[in-house]
Amino acid sequence: MVLSAPVKPLFIQRMKNMLNDIILDIRNVTKEFPGVVALDDVSFQIKRGEIHGICGENGAGKSTLMMIMKGVYPWGSYSGDIIYEGKELKLENRSIRQASDEGIAIVYQELTLVPNMTVGENVYLGREPRTSTGINWNELFANTQQILDKYHLEIDANELVKNLGVGKMQMTEIAKALSENAKILILDEPTSALSEEETERLMGILRVLKSHGVTCIYITHKLSELFEIADTVTVLRDGRVITSQPTKQLNEEMLIGHMVGRKMKERFPKSRRKPGKEIFEVQDLHAIDPGDSTQNVVNGVSFNLREGEILGIAGLMGSGRTELVSTLFGEYGKIRSGKVLLDGKEIEISSANRSMRNGISLVPEDRKKFGLVLIQSIQKNISLANLDQFSKWYKIDFMAEIKATDSIAEKLAIKAPSLSVLCETLSGGNQQKVVIAKWLLSDPRILIMDDPTRGIDVGAKYEIYKLMNELAEKGIAIIMISSEMEEVIGMSDRIMVMCEGKSMATLEQNEFNQERIMALATGC
Amino acid sequence: MSSTMSYLKQQLKKNFQTYAIILAMVVIWILFSFLTEGRYIGPQNISNLFRQMVITSFLAVGMVLIMVTGNIDLSVGKLAGFVSVIVARFQADIWFNYIPNHELLTTAFSVLIGIGVGTVFEIIQGYLTAYLNIPAFIVTLGGSWVLSGGILIITEGKTIPANQPLFSVIAQGYLSPTVGWVVSALIILFSIFSMLKSRRNKIKYGFKPLPMVLEVIRLVALSVLIAIYVAIVNRYNGVQIPVMLLAVTAVVMSYVSTNTPVGRYAYAIGGNREAARLSGVNINKNVFKIFVLMGLMCGISGVVLASYVGYGTIAAGQGYELDAIASTVLGGTSTLGGVGTIFGAIIGSLIMASLTSGLQMMNVPAAWQYVLKGIVLVVAVYADVYLKKNR
Repeated sequence: MVLSAPVKPLFIQRMKNMLNDIILDIRNVTKEFPGVVALDDVSFQIKRGEIHGICGENGAGKSTLMMIMKGVYPWGSYSGDIIYEGKELKLENRSIRQASDEGIAIVYQELTLVPNMTVGENVYLGREPRTSTGINWNELFANTQQILDKYHLEIDANELVKNLGVGKMQMTEIAKALSENAKILILDEPTSALSEEETERLMGILRVLKSHGVTCIYITHKLSELFEIADTVTVLRDGRVITSQPTKQLNEEMLIGHMVGRKMKERFPKSRRKPGKEIFEVQDLHAIDPGDSTQNVVNGVSFNLREGEILGIAGLMGSGRTELVSTLFGEYGKIRSGKVLLDGKEIEISSANRSMRNGISLVPEDRKKFGLVLIQSIQKNISLANLDQFSKWYKIDFMAEIKATDSIAEKLAIKAPSLSVLCETLSGGNQQKVVIAKWLLSDPRILIMDDPTRGIDVGAKYEIYKLMNELAEKGIAIIMISSEMEEVIGMSDRIMVMCEGKSMATLEQNEFNQERIMALATGC
Repeated sequence: MSSTMSYLKQQLKKNFQTYAIILAMVVIWILFSFLTEGRYIGPQNISNLFRQMVITSFLAVGMVLIMVTGNIDLSVGKLAGFVSVIVARFQADIWFNYIPNHELLTTAFSVLIGIGVGTVFEIIQGYLTAYLNIPAFIVTLGGSWVLSGGILIITEGKTIPANQPLFSVIAQGYLSPTVGWVVSALIILFSIFSMLKSRRNKIKYGFKPLPMVLEVIRLVALSVLIAIYVAIVNRYNGVQIPVMLLAVTAVVMSYVSTNTPVGRYAYAIGGNREAARLSGVNINKNVFKIFVLMGLMCGISGVVLASYVGYGTIAAGQGYELDAIASTVLGGTSTLGGVGTIFGAIIGSLIMASLTSGLQMMNVPAAWQYVLKGIVLVVAVYADVYLKKNR
């Protein structure tokens, strides 16, 4: 009774897969949670040695699929079959090592390295080569370096991870996966923290991996990357596979249409705003790292800002964009020289609290780390910066609080069963809306948004763009940092380009072009 | 009716931990009642059990907020002890010499001095922790050594009496049965009043209030609990004054933790310090304030301690900080900060006292009491971790 009846078609399928060189065959996988179908009859195939892109809005089922591949949702907790290397993949919950042993490795969106250890130690963490008495350090570093060199990663195995940039940290993670003889490498939003330059490098490395026969699953929101690198694209929407076809047969508009289920005419909504009078000006600002006075974090920045305009700040990673806005908000750099003027009067910048009272708000870059108290409800997060509004005599007026948070949440279309839901359960786009709601409630005149659409899906991005336009039309001055060239060009009235802590130039709308911006960003 | 059920379900899910710990307490009580043939839930034992938990409960109430901000205070036991010997010293030497025949005055001064000393000490520790950024663990560890020395200096190694009759009432007094009933009637009336007021307020803002049935059930349950308690303790000496004090303090602190910005900020700071800071919350000032509140609690606890034992000794308050931390953690406060309730800490404290009392009643040797209590604490927290993961 080895082959019972229902197994037989599977057997035939396996033979077919071998002929077509299919490394991973996902067949009719359905995964339900109480009340939600996360994956609904998902089937697609991944060929050996290809780069297979997966895209879809947040909540489309990508993460659930990855959790299954990693064994977090073990075999038996979902229906359907996953055939890997010609046999059924049966991962168990007990050990996360099992997936790695099978040759499936995930490079996570959030990096999972130990900063105070060397690259080599990180690569071999948990499975260090042994001598009879302890760790064989020579073998460890030699092996690491060999892997790094083989795939042209240009990293020294003896370097401490904390000294690497984000891009190289990610490569270290990739090296770690490769050292475990990964046959399938799953990259989850690998470029969300990378500059364009670093992204280019990553693309190059993925091509090297491909030439060595490694299969890659590439999950991303950035469609241009899919077209650059993926051989095949699978689009998921609401837990279902919408399409899985060679990239050659697709174009960007089709892909977006598949993801959101509607044809999107424009990625950036139009706005008819007219910037008003100048309200904010920064003159030749210099600031130093508060922990290390020899480090200049802002090195000569000047710009002005008008009511009701969106000023984009472009620049590569490390150009000091985030440092500049955190300094202006009063929570990072120590200002050494230069002036900051609000309504023509010089203002003192000392703390977030003071900036808020000046009408300046900051939506920070990393919403999980700096924007939200994840273990608290949506309502408490929104009111956190605004409790003074609802408090009299040291007492919070709950009803006033609920009323205000309710109405702002509705205005921003935050999708949640109720406002008492904890923020950790929300999707990235909704989390970002909660952060924005918090700041809108404080009624800012100047809203600084540091990479506001980082890591959120196309649909939510569009909503955020629309919201930004509405705010600008109401007269709020917005400073927007963006890592995506198209976004900064599509949304801004003017663009300030930064390089190494300096403002290089501020471009008017008729001067916008990608080559010009890139030249300024790299030209210092 | 279905909305009522779904509300109940939702509440049960949300406050799952609270219900679990109350259930654990009931199980402990039933178990000990069987093992002691009913003596355990007799009026005398119940009365003493609640009285015994009071002193560490004050500390646990303050500790909740300290731990919610992500800090810890290892000095609270010694601080309560120090307060108690200071109070005893004043009573024995100073009041006795200068205002010998003013009982009311000396008691009032004793209370003020006690609370003052507790608060001032925590102001110093709070400043060091919040403004100078020295880890609370270190500051309060050092603080507890300083206080150990202080206790020895004040007592000169001797036991000092603190047993003026009026002062003793604070921890040893009882309300007469009639007064007990009147007070409980007032509490119930107040609950009805505040329920109606909150409903009116909700309607005023255009929100749908809870179904009336639910509110009534809740009030009836509360009233029945109070009535049973008063009926039991009235069969012994009556409602204990220190228990009343604790109840009032717990209600006030619970209010502070949920209804004031200071409380809300404490949870935000513990939940994500950076996000709170970037939301304009003044971290230093708010952590400092929580330490000051802790000082207030230590002061009250020390005064009650002096009144409870009737003298100040060199061993006063020894180890209370650990009891307080254990109660807080049993009551669901996270050691990582951001989570915890005053009510939970009180129940946690009651569980610790219930265990001690039951084990003593069964003549379990002191050594084994420690062993069992230690195991219960760790197992309880493990059960919590396990249930959270597998819910």
